[in-house]
Amino acid sequence: MNAILVLAAILFILMILIGGKKGARSFFAIFLNFGVIIFVLFFMNDPNINPIIVTLIACAFIGCINLFFINEVNIKTITAFLASIITTVVLIVFIVIIAEKAMIQGFGEEEIEELSIFSLYIGVDFVKVAASVIIMSTIGAITDAAMAISSPMREIHYHHPDISRKELFQAGISIGKDILGTSTNTLFFAFFGGYLALLIWFKDLSYSPGEIINSKIFSGEMITIFCAGIGVTMVIPVTSWITALYLVKRGNSAE
Amino acid sequence: MNNIPIKKFYFYIILAIGIAASVLFVQNNDSFYERTIAEVKEVQLVHSEEVTDVYDNKDRIYEQRIIAEITNGKAKGQHIHLTNQYSKAKAYDYKIQSGQKLFVSIKEKKGGTAELSGDILDLKRDHYILLTGWIFILILLFVGKKQGLFSIISLAVNAVLLSYALDVYLKNPEISLLLICSAAVILFTVTSLLLVNGFNEKTYAAIIATLAATFLSLLITYLVIWLTGGKGLRYEELQFITRPYQMVFLAGLFIGSLGAVMDVAITMSSSLFSLYEKNNSIPVQDLKRSGMEVGKDIMGTMTNILFFAYISGSIPMLILYIKNDSPLGFSLSMNLSLELARALAGGIGIVITIPIGLYTAIYFINRKRARK
Repeated sequence: MNAILVLAAILFILMILIGGKKGARSFFAIFLNFGVIIFVLFFMNDPNINPIIVTLIACAFIGCINLFFINEVNIKTITAFLASIITTVVLIVFIVIIAEKAMIQGFGEEEIEELSIFSLYIGVDFVKVAASVIIMSTIGAITDAAMAISSPMREIHYHHPDISRKELFQAGISIGKDILGTSTNTLFFAFFGGYLALLIWFKDLSYSPGEIINSKIFSGEMITIFCAGIGVTMVIPVTSWITALYLVKRGNSAE
Repeated sequence: MNNIPIKKFYFYIILAIGIAASVLFVQNNDSFYERTIAEVKEVQLVHSEEVTDVYDNKDRIYEQRIIAEITNGKAKGQHIHLTNQYSKAKAYDYKIQSGQKLFVSIKEKKGGTAELSGDILDLKRDHYILLTGWIFILILLFVGKKQGLFSIISLAVNAVLLSYALDVYLKNPEISLLLICSAAVILFTVTSLLLVNGFNEKTYAAIIATLAATFLSLLITYLVIWLTGGKGLRYEELQFITRPYQMVFLAGLFIGSLGAVMDVAITMSSSLFSLYEKNNSIPVQDLKRSGMEVGKDIMGTMTNILFFAYISGSIPMLILYIKNDSPLGFSLSMNLSLELARALAGGIGIVITIPIGLYTAIYFINRKRARK
């Protein structure tokens, strides 16, 4: 028996037991997202296609899957979707600049030995791929935070239909503050868990702090963590603003 | 009341000084490095040619001639001549631009030539980490204010704890890494949740739920790996391994899912407690139903956070495999098996946190009721 299949089966059963129909949809969403990643991979293999554009389109698809498919198309998910896309676009500009300057693309000297059988001159721009990877690893957290803010904001507006745009925006920010700590934590531990082997490696081979900080792999992972944090933090005001604008405007025109 | 803005004012001043001092430091810290550093002054592209590898991938290789000024060590102030080769792909090389700082090695001077020559070892990247780090901290403070500050403190404390736990492990390799990580996980959970949510019953319920769910999900994953004999897991692709790989993998999985489990646990307990605070006599049946609704809502997006955080990192390696004519199935199973296992195990942790979090919160609410 394949360990991954067994784990997947356990997850599927648990999701259905606890989530019912929605659980099944959530499990299926993982598959759809996996499909998106495979598509991204195919397009990135063509050196003539810009990986950044591929990533942006992929993020739109992932946003649709995570928001519209798992939940449904409604005001909450639409504003969360818009906020996720805006945040992603702003974030990607920043990440491309940093990735180009810090040159964290591709593979580090620690990995290169085992890659000696491969040809590295493959024409695909790894700087852009590196920027795409950072965005892709954050997109799940960005859509989650957007949804976590737009959904209670909708509730507040529903219970207090006369609330002003500014007050609604403030309410969104204050919900955002509450989830900020846990969202950054989620990403932080996920990356830490992934980098555990690397950290042990650095300590075992007694790298000096200077060597660790400047190595391509470590600095790449630090920059990934920080950019992910910037993404989930930035989505808070963006979602609050869009949701407040949308809800209050709609409320006014209905009158 | 007047001293609150003053406190804030001091805080901003200290922050500004901190930023300025650290930026100045990393830009002028060359003398602290043992390796020789040189700042690029002039770059000249001398040659470029089209190459095609055995798999018909087209690329272009460029050669740069560089003059740089050494900024530390014995040869400080002298100019050094370097050459650099890079490809369009830049998978393992980089295009050097004027103004960048490089780590270099100096070659023995041959008689007669006045200029130094040498090789490029790596790029100096510390100021980019610092810059991104500060932007992250500033945005967190700007949006989150006090809570932002607490999250930063909690992240920093956790980073130090992890580093310390690994030191303990490396000094005492006879203690199992899993055991050390278990101790670390307890500390991580207690500090992060207390810092972010304060000392109250809501937090205690979340701490207990987090610990129970994390250990249970680790147990499930361990049993699955043991029962299947680890089939389908390609440990050979686990990178940077200096210690027993299975332990390192399990420990990484354990810590990796912790943040997500904490997130679910605190979401469950805060929503149940806020229902209870709104209506003290709310029946347990209603609490259960609302709790499950909340759980259903967050389940999907939470598992996807882990999925993307783990899987995306494999994309560059997958591109390399596929471009080198490896079959797709082989490339995927080689590069994604461990990441998928991590994501699935994290997902299991997230889902079992929902009932565990629900029942611990209800237990604490009932206890609170009984005391009244």
